[in-house]
Parts: sequence; C-alpha cells; structure tokens
Amino acid sequence: MRLPRFEYVRPQALEEALSVLAQSGSRAKILAGGTDLLVNMKQRTVCPEVLVSIKTLSELLMVSSDAQGFTAIGSGANLTDLAANAGIAEKFPAFIQAVRAIASKHIRNMACIGGNVCLDTRCWYYNQSKLWRDARERCHRTGGSVCHAIKGAARCHAINSSDTAPVLVALDAKISVMKKGENRLIPARQFYCDDGIRNTILEPSAIVTAIHLPDGNGAGRSAFIKLSMRRGIDFALCSIAARANINGAGVTDVRLVLGSIASMPIVLEKAAQVIMEAGLTQSAIEKAGEVARTELGIITNLFTSAGYKRQLAGVLVKQALNELKGKTAKRGGAKA
Amino acid sequence: MAKKAGHYTVVGTRQPRLDGALKASGRAEFTDDVVLPGMLRGKIVRSPIPSGKILNIDTSKAERLPGVRAVITYKDTNGLMSGSDKFLLCENMVHFFGDEVAAVAAVDEDTALEAAELIAVDYEPLPPLLSMEEAMAAQAPALHDFMTDNIADEVTMSFGDPDQAFAESDYIREDEFSVQPTHSAFSEHHIVLADFSLPDRLTVWTPIQSSAIIKSSMASNLGLTDSSVRIVNLHTGGAFCGRGGDKPHHYIAALLSRKAGRPVKIMCTADEEFLVYRGGGKYKFKLRTGVKKDGTLMVMDADLVHDCGAYMETQFILLRFVGSNMQALYKMNASRYLGKLIYTNNPPYFFHHGAGLVAMRFAIDSQLNLIAGELGIDPVDFRFKNAVEKGYITPAKFTYASCGLKECITKAARKAGWKKKYGKLPAYRGIGIGCGMLRSGGKGMYDHDNSSVFIKLEEAGKAALFTGLPDMGQGSHTTMAIIAAETLGIRIEDIKVVAGDTDVTPYDVGAISQRGTFTTGNATINAALDAKRQLAKTAAEKFGVKPAVIIFQDRKVYPKGSPEKAVSFEDIVYATLHSDEGRYVMGRGFYNPPSGQSDMSKYEANTALAYSFGAQIAEVEVDPETGMVKLLRMTVAHDVGRAINVLGVEGQLDGQVFSGMGQTLFEECVMEGGQVLNPSLLDYKLPRPFEVPEIERIIVETSDPYGPFGAKEVGQGPIQCTSQAIANAVSNAIGVPIKELPITPERVLKAIREKAG
Amino acid sequence: MKQILSLTVNNDTYEVAVSPWRTLLDVLRDDLGLMGTKRGCGSGTCGVCTVIIDGRAILSCLTLALECAGKSITTIEGISSPESLHPIQKSFIENGAVQCGFCTPGIVMTSKALLDEKPQPNDDEIKEALAGTFCRCTGHIKIMEAVKKASKQ
Ligand SMILES: Cc1cc2nc3c(=O)[nH]c(=O)nc-3n(C[C@H](O)[C@H](O)[C@H](O)COP(=O)(O)OP(=O)(O)OC[C@H]3O[C@@H](n4cnc5c(N)ncnc54)[C@H](O)[C@@H]3O)c2cc1C
Ligand code: SF4
Ligand code: FES
Ligand code: FES
Repeated sequence: MRLPRFEYVRPQALEEALSVLAQSGSRAKILAGGTDLLVNMKQRTVCPEVLVSIKTLSELLMVSSDAQGFTAIGSGANLTDLAANAGIAEKFPAFIQAVRAIASKHIRNMACIGGNVCLDTRCWYYNQSKLWRDARERCHRTGGSVCHAIKGAARCHAINSSDTAPVLVALDAKISVMKKGENRLIPARQFYCDDGIRNTILEPSAIVTAIHLPDGNGAGRSAFIKLSMRRGIDFALCSIAARANINGAGVTDVRLVLGSIASMPIVLEKAAQVIMEAGLTQSAIEKAGEVARTELGIITNLFTSAGYKRQLAGVLVKQALNELKGKTAKRGGAKA
Repeated sequence: MAKKAGHYTVVGTRQPRLDGALKASGRAEFTDDVVLPGMLRGKIVRSPIPSGKILNIDTSKAERLPGVRAVITYKDTNGLMSGSDKFLLCENMVHFFGDEVAAVAAVDEDTALEAAELIAVDYEPLPPLLSMEEAMAAQAPALHDFMTDNIADEVTMSFGDPDQAFAESDYIREDEFSVQPTHSAFSEHHIVLADFSLPDRLTVWTPIQSSAIIKSSMASNLGLTDSSVRIVNLHTGGAFCGRGGDKPHHYIAALLSRKAGRPVKIMCTADEEFLVYRGGGKYKFKLRTGVKKDGTLMVMDADLVHDCGAYMETQFILLRFVGSNMQALYKMNASRYLGKLIYTNNPPYFFHHGAGLVAMRFAIDSQLNLIAGELGIDPVDFRFKNAVEKGYITPAKFTYASCGLKECITKAARKAGWKKKYGKLPAYRGIGIGCGMLRSGGKGMYDHDNSSVFIKLEEAGKAALFTGLPDMGQGSHTTMAIIAAETLGIRIEDIKVVAGDTDVTPYDVGAISQRGTFTTGNATINAALDAKRQLAKTAAEKFGVKPAVIIFQDRKVYPKGSPEKAVSFEDIVYATLHSDEGRYVMGRGFYNPPSGQSDMSKYEANTALAYSFGAQIAEVEVDPETGMVKLLRMTVAHDVGRAINVLGVEGQLDGQVFSGMGQTLFEECVMEGGQVLNPSLLDYKLPRPFEVPEIERIIVETSDPYGPFGAKEVGQGPIQCTSQAIANAVSNAIGVPIKELPITPERVLKAIREKAG
Repeated sequence: MKQILSLTVNNDTYEVAVSPWRTLLDVLRDDLGLMGTKRGCGSGTCGVCTVIIDGRAILSCLTLALECAGKSITTIEGISSPESLHPIQKSFIENGAVQCGFCTPGIVMTSKALLDEKPQPNDDEIKEALAGTFCRCTGHIKIMEAVKKASKQ
C-alpha cells in the first residue's frame, strides 16, 4: 500500500509547530509515531496535505512530577520507554499495563503516548482500503448518511480503541492541550467525545503536549484488563480500567471505565454505585457485572456481535473488581 | 527400493535446509527482488460491486497520464479465459467484488495507482446472490449466462450397497456441519513479473507450486508453443494449496507487457490478497452414519454443498476428492455421496491448507465422537476398532501397501495420557482425538503425471541435481539432496540443487497432491542410479570386474567384497569425465506412479501408491465466561513411511498443527455483501507466538514398499487430523457438540448457554 | 518536492533524493538495492519489513524515510557476511526455524534486537518480541526454540 502525496515539516521547537499548525488548519495532521496515521493515509481515510512531525520536539519528551501532585508525561514519550519506566509503573500500574498491552513491541518501539491518546476511532467499514469502501454507500463519516456498522444509526459510532484512554479517564488524568497562544489542562473525561467522527475536543491546530496523572489516585488500587482474540498484537474486543480506594471494609471512589466498546471510554456509574454501597463482596461484584451489561447503551459490533461485547463487559467488570479486591481472576483468554 | 531402516548414512538424519543461510541472511531472491531494465509496474482495476453490468469503460484519462505505458481492458484480451468460466478481464458483467476489469502499466507504482484510479467504469448493479441458499432457491436467476441454474458442478458417488448397510445398522445418526471461508495468508503476497516484450517469448517470474501447470496453461491460453514460455520460480514465500496454478494476475502482467513492450511487475496489496487468494470456501455437510451396537462402522452418507464463489475454475477437484476420500480412513461396507458446487457472488474459492479435505475430516470425526459417546465407547477405542490397516482396499479402491494408523492412535493416546485424562479432567478442560489420512504422490493431473530429475556429476566428486519441483518452504530440495546423496554414496554437502527455471530444469508436475517426496523422490533415486551406472562403467574397467558389482559408499567406490581396493568417488568421476571418450555423466531419472486398474465412471481408482496416516490428541481449556479456547497441548503422531529429514518432518508437523489450530479456533473470512469484512492480518485473526501450544511429536515409520527409502508424505497429512482433535476436545470440555468451524469465543459461549437452557 | 537525505545504513552513508511520502522500506529496496528487507502488508501487521534503528526493531513500512535522517539503521545485510553468519542466523538454520524464508529476515532482525537488549530472555519476553512478526510456515515453534538456543550461547 502506498502513501498519498504530502508535504513534510519537521519543526525544531514546539512554538514553531504550533505556528505551522495554526497556518495550515485542517490541511495538516500531526505525525507522532505514525503507526496509526500512516496506515490510515495508506487506506486513504485521511489525506492531509501537510504532516507536522513532532516526535523529536524536546518539549514533548519530558517526564516530571509537579508541585500539584501530578506526574506529567510528555506526549512524545515513546511507548517502549514508558513501558520500562519503573517509577511510573510503581505509581500507576494500570496505566503501564495498558501501555504494555498496545499493539506489538515493534509498534510500541515506534509509537508515542500522545498518538495513543489521540488515536482515531475505528470501525470495520471505515478502516479499509479505498477500493473496499467504494463498494458501499458512503457513511456518516465518509460524507454520506448511513452507518454500516450499526444499521440505522443516526450518527457515527466508530470505536475508540486506545488502550490507555480508559485508564486516563479512570485515574482522572488531565490532558494538556496547546494551540498557538493557548494552553489548557482538560480532564480526560471531558477530552473524549461520544462521537465516532470527532472523538476528542481537539481542534486541528492543537497539540496534546502532555498527560498529567494525579499521584494520589494511582495510590489507590487500580487495574487494567484487555480482552482480545490474540495476545501480543490485537486491538481489544473490550478493555476495562478500574480504580477504588479501599479502607478496611469501606470502598470509595470506585471508577469503572470500559474501553474499545464505544466512541469514547464508557464510565459505568451504576455498576460503580453497587460497589460503593455494598463493598467488594462477592455478591456485589456479581451484581455489578449484571448492572454493567444493562447500563451500556448502543454498542458497535466490530467482528463480534453487540451482545457478545456486552457479555465481555460484564465479565471484565467482575474480573477487574476481583483484581481490586486482591484476588486475581484466574481465567480469561488473551489477557494483557 | 525400500531398504531396512538403520542402514542409511544421510536419510533419517536432521539436515538443516540447503537454502537456510541464503534465507536467514536476506540473500534469497524472491520475485519482488527481481528488477529488470525498463520494468514497469502494473495495477489491476477491480469491480467495486459483487454483481452488475459494465455499461462503459473510459480509459482515456489514464492513457493520457504521463508515465502510463499500457492500459488494457476486455478488448485487449482476445476473449481470454482464466479457467473454464472466467473472462480474464470482464466483458460486460462483473461477478464478484474484486473481479478484474482493466489494468494499467506505468513507470512506477504511484503512477500506476493514479492511472488505475483514472479509469472510469460505469456499472449497473444487479442484486447479488450472496449465500448458497439464495443461489439455490427455485426462483434464483443464474449467475452466469451460460448456465440455467447456479449449480456449478455436481458429483454423486456410491460404493457398496448403502441402503442395505443402513438397514443392517443398529444405530443411525444424522448431523449437519459447517465450515466458514478461510484465507491462505502466505507471507509473500501474490506477485508476478512478466516479460512478453517479444511476441514469441514469454518469461514469467512468480511464486508457484507448479511451474509445469502454469507453463502449459499460459502457453496454450496465449497461443504459444510450450518452449516459448519460461517460468522462473525463485524462492516462494509459502503456498498451502493456494499457489497451484495460473491466476488472473499472471495473464494480466503478460498482456500488459506485450502491449507496452516492457517487463511488468504486479504485486497485490494486503487487501487485494483477500480478493485473489482462492482460499477455502464455505462448506456445509449433512452426514448420516450407521453403526453396529459394538461400534462397527457400517456406512456413511454425505451431502456436501460448497460455495465456490463467482467462478468454479478448478474447484471441481475438491468435489471429487471429498467423495473418494470420505471412506478412506475407517473401514466401512458402503458409502454414498452427493457433492455440489454452488455459484454465488462471493470471491472465487479453491481450498486452503489441507487439500480441501479438512472440513470433511472435521465433520466425520466429530460425528464419530458423538456416536461413540452415545454407544458408551471410548473415542480412542472406537477409532482403533474401525481404523484401516495395511492391505486394506477402500470402497473407492485406495490400496494400502503400508499403514500406520493404529500405531499412530496407540502411540498418541499413550503419550497424551488419554486413559488418565479422558473423562477425568477438571471442568472446562477437555481432551479430544482426531485422525486423518492423505494420499502421497497423487495422480490425476495429466497422463504424464511424472517427475524427472537430472543429476550431473562434476570433477570434484560433486553433483548438481536439476529438478522442476518448487520448494515453497516445505524443504523438498533438501530432501532431494538427501535422497541423491544416499543413493550415490556421497554427502549432502556434495550436492547442489538447481531449480526454478523451466528453461533449465526437467519436467515436474510440481508440489501438488503430496508428490514431492514420493514422486520426485523416486525420480531422484532413478537419476542417481543412472549416474551410478555411468560411473560404474569406469570403475568396472579399472577393477576388471562387471559394472553390476561396483559399490558406492561413503564417497568411495569398490568392487563388492573388496573394500580395501576402494578408490575415491572423486577419482572415479574425474576418470570418467576425462576418459578418452570424454564421457560426460548426467544421470536421468523419471517416475510416474503406475496406475492400478481404475473405473473412473464409478470413481474407483487407486490414484496414488502410498497413503500417509495420523492421529492427534488435543487438550484445551475453555473460559466459560468469555468462550475463549486455549489449545494447551497437541500430541501428534504421523505415519510418514520414513522420515528422510527428521528436522524437516518436525517442521511440517509444527506448521500444520499451528495452521490447523488457526483454521479451527481463529480464522474466518467474515463475509457480508460479498466482501470480506476482515481483509488484513490484523483482523483476520491468525494466531501468533502467544497462542502456540505445546507440541509432542511422534514420527511413525512404516517403510512404504513404493516410497523412496520407504517415505510417503508429511506435506498435508498432519493437518487432516487437527481440526477434529481440537473440536472434540472443546466439545469434551463444554459438553456440547461442536458443529461449526471456526470455534470462535462467541460460538462457544452460545453453545454453553444453550446447554444451560 | 524531493529532499536530499543522508542515510546511514549498515555503517555506510548514502545520499538520496526522496519524496516525503516514501517509506524507509521503499528507499532501502528501491533506491539502495537492499532487498533483504521484505515488503509485506505495509500496515504494521506482519513484521517482514523489520529493521533495527538505534537498537530497536521497527517497521520500515510505517517509517518515513525522511524521519531517518541522522539515525543509524541496520538491515539484515548489515549483521553478517556470507562467510560468517550471526549466531542467531546460525541458530535459525540449525534448528529448522527457516522454511519458506520470506518472514525470516524480519524475524532475525527482531530477534537480534531482543537479544541485544536482553541476552537471556524468558519465554514470555521472546513471545512478546516476536508477536509483531508472523510465520505461516513454522507456526513460530522452531523460531522460538532457535531464539532460545541462540540466547544460551
Ligand atoms: C497492527 C497494529 C496494531 C495496533 N494495536 C493497537 C492496540 O492494541 N491498542 C492501541 O491502543 N492501539 C493500537 N494500534 C494503534 C496505534 O499503533 C497506537 O495507538 C499508537 O500508540 C499510536 O501512536 P503513534 O505515535 O504511532 O500515533 P500516530 O499514528 O502518529 O498518530 C495517531 C493520531 O493522533 C494524532 N496525534 C498524534 N500525536 C498527537 C499530539 N501530540 N497531539 C495531537 N494529536 C496527535 C495524529 O494526528 C493521528 O491522528 C495498532 C496499530 C497497528 C498498526
Ligand atoms: S461507525 Fe458507521 S458511520 Fe462511523 S465510520 Fe463506521 S460505518 Fe461509518
Ligand atoms: S510490511 Fe511492514 S509490517 Fe508488514
Ligand atoms: S518461513 Fe514461511 S512464513 Fe515463516
């Protein structure tokens, strides 16, 4: 597969990158590791005129702890480096587990955390070659008005399959977004949108410069589990990030977030409520799994039926809660 | 020809493959590595709809694009057909998503791609027939205008007296099984480089299982003499039944090259791989089996319908294989078979890894497990009781001169700890057995179904072995070198293999029907014997004895009984080449397995002299909540006749267990609207290193009387056992019969649910 | 729009004029004639295009050539000479890890990057490193054995 033509720019400083982006607007795309973007370009789902390469910008490579109790990870951080970062792994085990679960080692050697956070959504119609897509009517995302993945859907439900996205939401991470003359810190939960086409609040001229993980939240218990057909190189069928503070019998701050099941990470409020009310008892865990299944709205079928995804969601909720409880669930297919 | 085991020097050792160093260092040449002066890049324009009329093709824009050297459509093909029912480039109808409509050649790939996009084709879509049910419905329109319905082919076979045998059965069971389409997924994509710059000379570089078939087909279809076509088959990146013969891209490259007067290379992209692959189609089996109370198998009746996609091409082979092989593994009195190929607007299929028989073996062995269960007989005992044996002649007249099936069953069961495990494993763990067989050195392509080998001797006592047999990874070239070295009494290092160029190598039908080791192996022995005869003349003159008493061993030559007189092999070769007559030594060998009596009107024929047999035992773990299955362990016993190269045999066992596991648990071309929904290695879930099971290998050697050194085959026999072993294990784990492949987590979960009610 | 690029491959420096949209794989094969690196899926799923950059196994099909300026690239041609193969190559050959050979250069490079980083990897580390490669012929079994044996040398 061939790449389309484009102009390549490699700014020497963040400021310069922001300027280039401000000038080019939606004609440009940010190139980090390229492991998602270049595949999409080869398939002609996106054909930017300009690629702005950012992975060598030193401003995006910093990892540091700040005074507000946050660990900041520059968006240019390479995934293999992150996976090996013992300090972060100790503070945020679920985050690092998610990083390690992304794609394959080859891809992690190339990819950046910023690219994973900003990963384009996927669906089985959209992520195909042009020839393949041309066989069907255009969908909401390709300029038409139907959806092939969910027949009859009024909008695009393409899936956010970033492995780290649910963890960021579960841990209440903040995402630092810059555009020329503006710098914002956005809670992860508000960063993602429930829309397959515009799945983050990012404008074309904005760069994610860092993610900020709150040190306090990592200290509670957290877990990440990914179910996929294969281990080692596969997008998730469904994933979960969970967190809770456990003090004796009391369980507070329960957060259950599903990934790879909708256009954004899905926070399971009701299932979490079950645990906060009843604690991490076996019957509450079972019930939370049931509640999770019913709590989910529309689910995209990506090679598996929506019903099966719903089932997996329930299983993951139970597995994650058991893991928080300290009992690692024994079974589970391709768990990462 | 078969000697007793243990007397060999090279045969039966562990030989690293001859081309290992070249391949491991990236110096092995594959088709994409060939760059010719002036070479163009070709690109095929494909139908974006599964069914429709072509109203107009406008190539003018593409032709005007700078860098474009040739554009072809139906008009340039002279009505050329690819197979019996497909126009190379569609005339006025397209029949599947991906059907070849036009093609371009340009100075580079980007330009070719751009030109292809500039070709404007107007279509009038027609309602496609996307399932066999739709295509077989009474009102369904015929997909092809030369047909009145959509039954592309139909075969009935009946052996013995099935009605009588059912009447005599105590227990009859009927089940339906289905298998979803699969993809070959060899690592080297479909690729061709054709040079047809001159009208009477066509050279084609391409990965292939048979240079002979593609050569004769291309010559006859393009109106060339056989000698004007040269096929260069460099290294080939895997085949698994998917590279048997000529495909459309071969002809398209040739026609583009003819028109442009320059060589043209076409390489399929990742998604095109799923349009041209001709992998396994969708199978549906209805199976009815009768047995006696004591477990004696009596009779089987099978109905097969197979989705052949938009074109039949050579899929009729599949129908016949299934019918004549279904009674070849277990003894039975009678059988009946009705097989149909159904045209649909899906991509054309052929078969994937396993000679088209894997689905049938899965169906039969799964049903036998169910029967054994109901009769309360242990599945291993049940198979052992009914297993075919040496000397047995099947209803279709397959004749077993050697047979290690019972030995495979017994050894696999012992090694796998069957007695300790069957029925005694914890919940959601399961164990299952599957058996299989396959002909070795199969015939039926041509009358002259032969392999020929030349062995040329060189001064330093070395030999060059010329063969037309492609090595797609199975290691046949190394096997031939071992056979030649053993026969000539020299070492494998003394042999070099020359292959892959039909201008140089002798005729060989190729690496199909498990012919390599058996047929080309026998030809190699004959060539080596011929070379020895030529050398023996010199030696006999030297020693003053008759040529018949000359012995060749360990690079030495001596009269029988007088090893002390030995001279080196090298000296004898030298003396021969430098004799007054200048006797040039070229051993010539050919082999065509003699056909027995056959009555093809009744499909009765022993289409091979040897058959391989195997048994595999799988142990699985099922996650009852996600439905995911993990194959923990596979015990593999295979009767290969003789392991010529133990390392090579192990590699074949491994590869087939893994591929069989893929077909059973992971791989499925998910179809919708005539399109494969998952046309990439990301979404077509081939297993990877984490999914590798533990493997126990047991090589059974029955020394076949006709095989070279007793060898049969291991090229596709092992995969005949894998699916049903795994399926039976899953069914054992969850207590529900498995009747559909692949056994995806979703299907497993559904089965568990239905059982729970 | 072509840019002049200075590439260091196997310690040799090349000057090439490349368009931005050309991948490292294209340049290695088409401009430098280094055919040992294979062209496969082009989309990150098969690993046949693996080369080593700055010690890590990366996919040349998803790497823009222009992004490689100033980096040290090692391809399969750079790890051995015909007369002295790398121990990993020897182990692959001796242990039957090579069949059709199309996947082999990429897997050898992947294994080299692994063993350079972790000379004694455990089974899971081997699987993790190899998960991005794909071998239809061997079922990965003898490949993993070969890597293991090479690591013990
Ligand atoms: C075979 C294969 C398997 C994969 N499996 C997984 C998987 O299991 N899990 C998973 O999560 N992903 C997977 N991916 C997707 C992808 O490789 C990863 O998500 C990776 O982390 C993306 O990072 P990158 O640096 O390569 O991003 P790029 O491809 O460079 O960028 C991705 C997107 O983010 C934008 N972007 C990048 N950086 C920034 C920034 N700083 N600010 C604003 N926008 C930015 C880009 O413009 C682009 O739209 C897989 C990809 C492949 C090819
Ligand atoms: S989810 Fe529906 S609308 Fe969105 S890209 Fe897929 S087919 Fe198009
Ligand atoms: S060609 Fe690069 S991963 Fe397949
Ligand atoms: S050796 Fe053929 S794909 Fe690996």
